Amino acid sequence: MPEPDDSNDDRDVQPDGGEPHADGGTVTDEDLPVDPPHEDEDDHGHGLPDMSSIKRWLVTTNHKDVGILYTVTAMFFLLFGGMLALLMRLQLWAPRAAGAGPLSAAAYNQAVSLHGLLMVFWFLSPFAFGFANYVVPLQIGAKDLAFPRLNAMSYWLYLASGILVGVSFFQSGAFPGGWTMYAPLNIPAYTPGVGATTSVLGLMLFTASVTIGGVNFITTMHRMRAEGLTMRRLPLFTWSILLTVWMMLFAFAALLAALIILSSDRILGTTYFAAQSAGGSLLWAHLFWFFGHPEVYIVFFPALGAMAEIFQTFTGRRIVGRKWFIGAMLLVAIQSFVVWMHHMFLTSINLPIKTLFMATTIGISLPFDLMVFALIYTMIKGRIRFTVPFLYAFGALFLFIIGGITGVFLGAVVLDYEFRGTYWVVAHFHYVMVGGVTALIGALYYWFPKMTGKMYDRFLGKLSFVLYFVGFNLLYFPMFVAWETPRRVFDYPEAFAPWHKLATIGAFVLGLSFLLTVYVIGKAVFVGEEAEDNPWAYSTTAEWAVPSPPPLENFPGLPSYGDGKLSFRPESAADGGEAAPDGGVAATEGATPAAHDDHEEEHVSHASIWPFVTGVAALFTFFGLSGIQNAQLIDGPWGMVHLAALVFGAVLGLGAFVAMGLEEFDAPTGPFGESWPFSSTSNTTTGMWVFLASDVVLFGAFIGSYVFIRVAFGWTAWEPIPHNSLPGLINTYLLLTSSFSVVLALVAAERNSTRGIVASMLVTLLLGIGFLVNKGIEWFELLHEGIWLSTNIRASTFFLTTGLHAAHVIVGLIIATYMIVRAWRGAYLDDEAPLEYFGLYWHFVDIVWLFLFPLFYII
Amino acid sequence: MSHAKLYTWIYVVLFVGATVQVGVEYAGLLEPGTYVAAVAAIIVLSLVKAVIVAAYYQHLRWEQRSLSYLMGMGLLAALALTIAASYSIT
Ligand code: HEM
Ligand SMILES: [Cu+2]
Repeated sequence: MPEPDDSNDDRDVQPDGGEPHADGGTVTDEDLPVDPPHEDEDDHGHGLPDMSSIKRWLVTTNHKDVGILYTVTAMFFLLFGGMLALLMRLQLWAPRAAGAGPLSAAAYNQAVSLHGLLMVFWFLSPFAFGFANYVVPLQIGAKDLAFPRLNAMSYWLYLASGILVGVSFFQSGAFPGGWTMYAPLNIPAYTPGVGATTSVLGLMLFTASVTIGGVNFITTMHRMRAEGLTMRRLPLFTWSILLTVWMMLFAFAALLAALIILSSDRILGTTYFAAQSAGGSLLWAHLFWFFGHPEVYIVFFPALGAMAEIFQTFTGRRIVGRKWFIGAMLLVAIQSFVVWMHHMFLTSINLPIKTLFMATTIGISLPFDLMVFALIYTMIKGRIRFTVPFLYAFGALFLFIIGGITGVFLGAVVLDYEFRGTYWVVAHFHYVMVGGVTALIGALYYWFPKMTGKMYDRFLGKLSFVLYFVGFNLLYFPMFVAWETPRRVFDYPEAFAPWHKLATIGAFVLGLSFLLTVYVIGKAVFVGEEAEDNPWAYSTTAEWAVPSPPPLENFPGLPSYGDGKLSFRPESAADGGEAAPDGGVAATEGATPAAHDDHEEEHVSHASIWPFVTGVAALFTFFGLSGIQNAQLIDGPWGMVHLAALVFGAVLGLGAFVAMGLEEFDAPTGPFGESWPFSSTSNTTTGMWVFLASDVVLFGAFIGSYVFIRVAFGWTAWEPIPHNSLPGLINTYLLLTSSFSVVLALVAAERNSTRGIVASMLVTLLLGIGFLVNKGIEWFELLHEGIWLSTNIRASTFFLTTGLHAAHVIVGLIIATYMIVRAWRGAYLDDEAPLEYFGLYWHFVDIVWLFLFPLFYII
Repeated sequence: MSHAKLYTWIYVVLFVGATVQVGVEYAGLLEPGTYVAAVAAIIVLSLVKAVIVAAYYQHLRWEQRSLSYLMGMGLLAALALTIAASYSIT
């Protein structure tokens, strides 16, 4: 509700030294700079069907639509994970033997594991990314993300991965070994079910989705900011998302490495995590927690950003110490990569390293203190309006403080010896993580009017908060009291039963509050009153300066903060909004912008079916893969079903990629004013490099695993698998030469020689094939001697690491083939960019080999 | 075109570098006594070659510095993981 009488607030008094309107889009002063034409833009010439048709949602690539898809889908997974939680709480109503109670022992294990996985991966992060998708482009003044089709693809891969996890329950049971999937419990010797593999593959697909999304967001947020919107001026929510996606890029690459290795152990039969492998179970813990600790901030940061945004709006005050707040977030994001071993205090790592990681853990709690105090101070200095979003955000702060303090206990080595594996840990991370959820529910109430143009029933909203807060504390606080309850086990000492009964009651109250929230917003969608463009009196960011919901292309002109405040300038091609292909797949040159220069407005595309098709293809492919164990199809007709799914999925996926490459798709690329620090590279080049950086971590984690295992094994006792380094040397020559020929292809393109391009690329292709043939011969001979990937850990590392590299080669050759065909027909003469993107990738594959060769053949 | 010439030279350097790495092995330097130095030499050679490919073939040299930092960040993350994890082994 706008509170016009408050307009003489103290919000322009800024004791922390900032000029009043510096942060990204302090725009909605008294009058909106737009008088928004509320016309229905949806159906003129953008190729997008109406919102009410299903087809719209299958083909859309618009960031706002994708945001809504994420939000809604995430809420379904909340329901899914929530049901599992309630089942667990029912089981825990009383301590009882396996089978007495609603869940069997096996079912309980699956419920615990999948509850954790679903909530952390399929609910929490995607829920936050619903808002990120919707709000971030609006806050930075962009019309869409840099690669709209890849954005839609991220969503469809996410959905496919979630469906896979659902499917796993029906394939003899989902993964039962806990959300941390510790080794060696995670290998088929202990968790043999096909469904367990499917759960793992589902997570791997999710990782792919996150990586694509990360590349997209990083490119967009750095390159496509409006004029005057420097990094310092970015709104806080945008800042939190920016740091989140950076953490995602590196952390999820490590997880991907861990999951590829695990899948290989499960599907192909390598022995990385086998109980008898040197360092096996410890390796998993390192890889998982190197990802896992950043992950806890990845899920928490968006909530923090939303909290900061909500606090500012409803205290009518800019956050105290804004610069410091941002600095603290940046520091935490970096530090989050050097605390992971505090999750391993009870493993066999040595005492000096435990002490070191205790120190870094204490270090990381310090910037958090600063942020907490900044938020508290903002409340003290401002005038609070107890709206629904504020209540949730405020509650979140309270919960986070409790969660944070109890976390510091866990960071102390000696205390952790006591607390590890108990409900103290369970209580701690629920206070922080579900504390984050609390803030995101606040975000839902905050941005809902913007996303739907409707306002909800505020009374019921507040009621939902009361239920939520009571339910939450009733559920999780008793866990601190009964902390000696062993974690992940359904049996516990009788004396704790009353506390667990309380917790179970709390769980249902909390569940009820979610249902009420769903009811409140559901009702508002259908019969809610119209929301204003800016329903909050003191909101300051740009999304509130446009209509609710915003038109398809967001702004009535080119947003600019050139004179300190948001204004819209008339749009002309010269302003930089030039349409160009949304690359990203190295093969998108099909969409070469021909003569789109002036009327680009009408050519901007918003629809493509191929992201959706890619999602379907991935679903089939990964389902198919789950039917393989020890490099063999499972027995019986199901084996054939899996095989068919695999082949179908792979063919469909390949087709979808080619189709996407050939499709005309133009999106605004920027730069629109601010593009630090990538101002002189195009979006696609930037995206390509960002992707390669994550690939560095992927291969780095593989090589790191090899080094780690070898150290655990005894470095010098380890013999390379190939007896002779010559085949490896020949392959090095082949790859180096193929890199050189790609360089020649570019030179030929500059000289406008189709024949030159085709010939050079053909040479690359042939050399690549030569590389694979040579490798094939080598593998075949090893196999002949009885050495295969399951023989021992040395063989496993050799075959898997060089195999992953070979897979990269194969992908490169497929792209090369496609490009040769296109070059033959005269492509790349006036636009050699795709050749260059291919080159970046190919040279990277070459570089990786430069390390693999000595490590696996010589040393 | 002078660029083409530069690229050719680089190709030759890379080719020789790879050969030298195997040469170190064939010269019998991977034996106790010279082992550490030989391994170090081989790794350094790989690093140098990688930097050359990145700098010239991927023309990082002529791009904005931020791209190099970006790759440096990835490398740093991987190194942190590898070194700390290997060091943690009792
Ligand atoms: C003040 C900052 C924090 C500190 C010092 C801290 C410390 C710790 C420590 C030492 C552990 C390991 C306990 C054990 O397993 O024995 C732990 C576990 C955990 N923390 Fe935190 N934490 C903090 C913040 C957070 C945040 C913000 C989140 C998530 C949003 C979080 C989520 C988790 C999770 C999920 C676990 C359990 C991991 C598992 O399943 O074993 N923590 N925390
Ligand atoms: Cu942690």
